[in-house]
Amino acid sequence: MDKKIRVKFNGGREVTGVLKGYDPLLNLVLDDTEEQLRDPENNHLLDESRSLGLIVCRGPAVILISPVDGTEEIANPFVQAEE
Amino acid sequence: MFNFNIDIRRVIALPLSLLNTAQGHPMNGETFNGHLVNCDNWMNLTLREVIQTSPEGNRFWRLPECYIRGNTIKYLRVPDEIIEMVKEDAVRQRQATGGGGRGRGGSRSGGGNSGRGKVFDVIFNISNNY
Repeated sequence: MDKKIRVKFNGGREVTGVLKGYDPLLNLVLDDTEEQLRDPENNHLLDESRSLGLIVCRGPAVILISPVDGTEEIANPFVQAEE
Repeated sequence: MFNFNIDIRRVIALPLSLLNTAQGHPMNGETFNGHLVNCDNWMNLTLREVIQTSPEGNRFWRLPECYIRGNTIKYLRVPDEIIEMVKEDAVRQRQATGGGGRGRGGSRSGGGNSGRGKVFDVIFNISNNY
C-alpha cells in the first residue's frame, strides 16, 4: 500500500502508479499514474509516458502487478549461470 | 497448437502432457522465472525474486516480486521432483479430510498447493505478446 507499482493490462497497456486501494476482484486505485506508451506499429515500449493522475484499474483486466522499487534491468542472468 | 482430440482415457494426464509438450517451445510471450510464493484455484500466482525476460529474449529485469493473473499463463515449467510431492500431498489430503468434502469458499489460496513454500523456479509465458 502506498507503494509505487507497475500494472500491465490485458491488451498491452502498462501503467505505473502509487497503490491507494484494492479489492478482492483486484480492482485497483492508483494515484500519480503514468501510462508507458507503446509504438502502435510494433508494440515496443517507447520512452514516452502520459500522465493519468488518479485512476481506477478494473481488476479483470489486470494481468501483472509488480513493485517499481527494486526493479532493474539486468544483463542476461542465464548465460552467467551456465558459465 | 495443442491437439485436444485425445482419447478420453488419457485426459487424466492432460495437464502434465500439456506442460511437457510446451517445454522448449519458442517463446512468444514474456517469461517470468522466480520462486512460487502462492497460487490459487485460478492459477493466479505470486512469485518472488523474479527474473523477467522480454518476448524477444534479449532484455532482462529483476523484480522483487510480482502477481500474475492465471488466465494469461501459457505454460509453466515445473521441476520434476514436484510431481512426486503431488502424490504425497494427495495421500496426505485424503487422510486429512477423511473423505469429507471441502468447502469452496473461504481462502482464495486453498487447494493442493504442494509446491508452496518450497524453493523452486517457475517459468511461464504470458500468452499475449506485450
